[in-house]
Amino acid sequence: MMTRGTADVVETSEAPAELGRLSRFPVRRVVQWVVGVGVLLLAAYGTYETIQLGRFSGAAWRDLLVFGVAQGAIYALIALGYTMVYGILNMINFAHGEVFMAGAFASYFVARTLQNSGFLQSNPVVSIAILMVVAMAGSVGVAVLLERVAYRRLRKAPRLVPLITAIGASLFLQNTAKGFFGPQTRGYPTPDVLGGTWTVLGIPILRTQVIVIVGAILAMVGLIMFVARTRTGKSMRAVAEDKEIASLMGIDVDRVVVTTFAIGGMLAGIAAVLFTMVFQVVGPFMGFIPGIKAFTAAVLGGIGSIAGAALGGLILGLLEAVGPSLFLTGLGVKGPNQLKDVIAFSILVLVLIFRPGGLLGSDEAEKV
Amino acid sequence: MSKWAWKLLAVLAVLSLVAAACSNNNESTGGGGASGGGNQPDCNADPFGCVTYGPGEPIRVGTLLAISGDVATLGVDSEHGVELAIDYLDGNFDGKAGQILGHDVQLQNEDDLCSKEGGQQGGTKLASDPTILFVVGTSCSSSAFGVADKILGDKGIILVSPSNTAAGLTAESTHNPFYLRTAQNDAIQGRVVADFVYNKLGFTKAATIHDESPYAAGLTDGFGTFFEQLGGTITDAEAIQSTDTDFKPLLTSIAQSEPQLIYAPDFNPACALLAKQMLDIPDLKGVPYMGSDGCAASTFFDQAGDAANGTYMSFPLPSPGGTTSALLDTYNKAYKDQFGNPTAAFNTNAFDAFNVVAEAIKQVGVEGSDGTLTISRTALKDAVFQVKDYAGLTGTLTCISTGDCQSLAAVNIGVFQLPDIPIEGGNQDAKPIFNETITLSDALGS
Amino acid sequence: MSAGLTARRVARLGMLGGMGVIYLALVGMVQTFDGVRLVGDQVTLGRVLLILPPLSAAYVLARPRIVAGEAVKPDGRAALVGGAIIGVTGGALVGLSIVVANGLPERFAAQKIFTSVTPALISVVTFDRAIAPGIGMLVVLATVAGAAGAGLAVLGWKIRRPLITGLLVVLLLSMLQNVFRVMIGQLGLDTAWLYSVRLGGLTYIGAILTFAVPAGISAFWANEGITLRQRLSGATREGQRQVRLLAVAAVGLLLAVLPFLLGSFLSAVLGRVGLFLLMGLGLNIVVGYAGLLDLGYVAFFAVGAYAMGVLTAAANSGSSIHVGMGFFEAVPIVVLLAAVTGLLIGAPVLRLRGDYLAIVTLGFGEIARVLVTSDALKSFLGGAQGLIAIPAPSFTIGGLNVDFRDPQPFYYLVLVFCVLAGFVSYRLANSRIGRAWVAMREDEQVSEVMGVSTVRYKLLAFATGAAVGSVSGALFAVQIGSLAPTSFNILISIQALAIIILGGMGSIPGVVVGALVLVGIPGFLTEFETYQLLIYGAVLIGIMLYRPEGLIPNVRRTRELKEEDRLQDAWSKGAPDAEPATISWEEAPG
Repeated sequence: MMTRGTADVVETSEAPAELGRLSRFPVRRVVQWVVGVGVLLLAAYGTYETIQLGRFSGAAWRDLLVFGVAQGAIYALIALGYTMVYGILNMINFAHGEVFMAGAFASYFVARTLQNSGFLQSNPVVSIAILMVVAMAGSVGVAVLLERVAYRRLRKAPRLVPLITAIGASLFLQNTAKGFFGPQTRGYPTPDVLGGTWTVLGIPILRTQVIVIVGAILAMVGLIMFVARTRTGKSMRAVAEDKEIASLMGIDVDRVVVTTFAIGGMLAGIAAVLFTMVFQVVGPFMGFIPGIKAFTAAVLGGIGSIAGAALGGLILGLLEAVGPSLFLTGLGVKGPNQLKDVIAFSILVLVLIFRPGGLLGSDEAEKV
Repeated sequence: MSKWAWKLLAVLAVLSLVAAACSNNNESTGGGGASGGGNQPDCNADPFGCVTYGPGEPIRVGTLLAISGDVATLGVDSEHGVELAIDYLDGNFDGKAGQILGHDVQLQNEDDLCSKEGGQQGGTKLASDPTILFVVGTSCSSSAFGVADKILGDKGIILVSPSNTAAGLTAESTHNPFYLRTAQNDAIQGRVVADFVYNKLGFTKAATIHDESPYAAGLTDGFGTFFEQLGGTITDAEAIQSTDTDFKPLLTSIAQSEPQLIYAPDFNPACALLAKQMLDIPDLKGVPYMGSDGCAASTFFDQAGDAANGTYMSFPLPSPGGTTSALLDTYNKAYKDQFGNPTAAFNTNAFDAFNVVAEAIKQVGVEGSDGTLTISRTALKDAVFQVKDYAGLTGTLTCISTGDCQSLAAVNIGVFQLPDIPIEGGNQDAKPIFNETITLSDALGS
Repeated sequence: MSAGLTARRVARLGMLGGMGVIYLALVGMVQTFDGVRLVGDQVTLGRVLLILPPLSAAYVLARPRIVAGEAVKPDGRAALVGGAIIGVTGGALVGLSIVVANGLPERFAAQKIFTSVTPALISVVTFDRAIAPGIGMLVVLATVAGAAGAGLAVLGWKIRRPLITGLLVVLLLSMLQNVFRVMIGQLGLDTAWLYSVRLGGLTYIGAILTFAVPAGISAFWANEGITLRQRLSGATREGQRQVRLLAVAAVGLLLAVLPFLLGSFLSAVLGRVGLFLLMGLGLNIVVGYAGLLDLGYVAFFAVGAYAMGVLTAAANSGSSIHVGMGFFEAVPIVVLLAAVTGLLIGAPVLRLRGDYLAIVTLGFGEIARVLVTSDALKSFLGGAQGLIAIPAPSFTIGGLNVDFRDPQPFYYLVLVFCVLAGFVSYRLANSRIGRAWVAMREDEQVSEVMGVSTVRYKLLAFATGAAVGSVSGALFAVQIGSLAPTSFNILISIQALAIIILGGMGSIPGVVVGALVLVGIPGFLTEFETYQLLIYGAVLIGIMLYRPEGLIPNVRRTRELKEEDRLQDAWSKGAPDAEPATISWEEAPG
């Protein structure tokens, strides 16, 4: 979290608020605590009842956890794109979900061709490497284009301006893809080798999920190394700290910003291939929901922090997978899995009430 | 901008004055009060008036289908069915449009957006145009139910749907007198599927999943009711959001109560994703997926891959009469030639929907000596509801008083086990593994 | 060359123009709009789209450029040549892609990737001719368009404005022909001179007339208008007041008789515009006045609609609750409920600002959508099947039955609430509360130090905004008569946001214009329905980049967004022809 960003999000001091008439009695704090504790108690009661019910076997809980981690890994990868851009520019690139979609579509057409020629099945590893490169190229292209055409002029604008532009870009890209490629979802061919399970630490885990989790970890480690070790990474940190001083120190701010968008795009491209390996579908609107979820994950973990994005993604994935069964089944709620988004967003609100900067938001050391 | 707006307004005012000066105040297309002619219908007695088309003017027909958004495959497919019906008015599929009583047919295509608002917007637009004779639509039940059926019916415009399946649309108490459909009532399908699962497969435990569409909720509700009446148990009645992609946690939860089958009528990709992810859940080994006509499209094979094999699908079987099964073949070929592969299952219903009304127009349309065509709205409605044994692509259709146009008011629902299913990607010559012909009153009566 | 007529710039704009055409073709617009015949049967909207990008590119090229605060007009002849070159370049680029798309073997056919690339599209872009002559024609047309675009920019505004006015009127009358034909017919007037049923577009005579008359009026106005305006500004305060009153009365009268002029379909569209206008007014309070970006405004729309549905619906509505209230009794309860919801949503997020607030409110919007869909609340809210049998208020006067679901009476119902909401917004903006909101928006910490209770005013903004939004929802329930949960998605929030952005944040007339443009035009033109969201996206980006204060800016807001002195500087130094310069963020002092 960078200093300026923190100041904007968190009320700097409690003292001036005391001047307001309502604030003499800390109504807000009391309400917030009541709401927070109430929700926690309800969740605890639901959990207790669910466990009493004995509906779920131990294996089922274990599977749910694994599903959650795998889903969380994808969210985390996309969330990194949000968090990097935020760290540098203090803006939320709402269209990042569409950057992800662009990567998926770019690799889709190559995957079809590879499938038709039989190469995909005969050389799965090479194929996936090719698809990764194509997806990254597609995502990076769209991300950089977005920065150049839409965001660059807005760097000094009031904060809502770039955010609204990004919302517009998101709609525009979704519907462009719809116009270009048709509105329907399409099946994404994947190598047959990826079917079935591998046994990891005695637990059978779907091969796609193993790849997703490992892939996400590798990408994140790579990113952290890049930011910490390389020259470009250092200039990125400098620009995040203070653009003007960085430019005085001879850092080309424009280039750093473009690099940031490009790296976010690369991660989105990786996430796109991992996503399509698991779900095997692509469509023009595929990026919107994962984008919003990843955005949520980034905020949950503390936007601007790489570790925060990873943590936020993981928590969000777990909440979605385990939450409905754990909290709601015991309460006798009908159709609990339908409500997974309600759980996810409620937790987000709760976290932000108590930690307005997100879970790792105030961790100075981790910021980009 | 405001200045511009004002100027435009001023200009419009001037223009209408000019128009007033030029007008000779007699001819207007549509509306009541056609003049002269010996056997002219009595338009003044008709509360909705007549529609009159001058010589050379096309008959204007509206479509109100889901032609944008995620469900565009459904609406565009039906629109193609209507276009082929117009093509076939001259007796062959040659890409050249035919005529009704010497008049071309011009389509005005509106979008039902598969929503209430879409039904309201498109319906109001079509209803406000007095030259629109009838409307083929809507794609989605929610657009018609209490929205488009009422708006158009209030103006005496017939709405005939190729793909609405919600039971309420043709229920005695809620049917609008100007509404018809050639698609099959959900009540029938839910009932047949329950029979199939309980009696044919011998399963007593099933779970259901639906999303936020009234279509899926209607089918799972119907299935649940009949299945429990037969003696079965619904182990879980779950729900999803159609935008979700990860259903593994949901399926894990469902697996805990050990259903023998999962019934999830929906649209793709949800159907395909569910069928595919069921294979990833160890506890669901051997538990089959069952979908419905919403899933039964080429996209299911495309997206589910090998997981498609062994799943069940139910949908209404076209049962063309002896004379029309040959027509069905030519039709299918023409469709493929002109539009490529069908993207949904209702284009034949759309073809029939258009033709049921076209038949009636031929009966009640009155041609003037100068080529003017006059049609009384009420007479047209009465004639459509009198259609009997019309040899259509989906069967020999008879329209009953509540608006269901079906083979002798009974429907043949077939259940297929994939890949043996007569849709693109499957086996075109496949036969159903179970079928049941059931009348609407049977389905609703029990 | 200071006017920017460099070869590089010409080439770049030419490529951009060509790419614009290719984009429009690939996204499907060219083919879709080829069905919209404008004049006769040859001029279609699709074909206009083919020449519009080069025309605009050439216009941009030949526009006066502001160099160091001075507007520099390019040389007229050079600009024309430059425009023509842009046209040739663009046309050639499109032609090349046609050859490529047409010539590729089946295996690599572009239509495998781009669904719009079909033989039908090729025949549209080649004007139903063979490839070579078709492309030739395209290049020629693009060249003419390029030269015309440059010419339009070079000409003085006294000529340009009448030309554009005339063209716009022709465009409007031809695109809305289904609407106007019916409307004029209903007034008992002849339409055959204007619209040709056989050709499908305007008649040629009609097109010429509808171009010439408005152009003439506009030219006249351009000369007289200045004198009139000068006289107006020279008038006394009292005199100005009278003129203003007169204008208000005229607008009021127009609004009152509009449904009779427009007929039921247009009234229905206006009713829908009214619903979004209400939402825009409500959101304007939250975003425009108080500066709190709410991306989950649909939550209040849903609360209003479902509360109205549950309170008034008949016993068989699908909800287990049956109250059976009348509409007007239910409205206060709905509003109160929504205000409380606004407080509940507002309270936990008080400490958040800007971006965080956006995501949390987005979350609340999603929660609302999921809850109305859910099986958990199905017995109250109807679940996926929704609620039906919601009555509309109706009464009988002298044997005439007025049902507020019918488009015309509904228009009046919405109008009443819009006027009410507009009045409330207006009074709020100019009160102590409004000033507190402005202070809070400008700088939260400073305003707190100055004694503004941000907690209180934030909650007030949320509650007021929620109340207005819920009325829109309640009216929506009445208009449709049944509710489906799919109507309450995030796009509603974004639509409301786009309306206030286009019009200008914090500006009530802006919200009106935004609603008319963004909801009205797609409502009239069904062909645009498919591309509505695409256009929304483009509008959001375009407005934020080039005119962040909106079409009809709020005065105070403009000052925040633009530095006034610089604007004046550019204006006073610029040639009389120069339009107010757009200042990019890079140049503006941060």
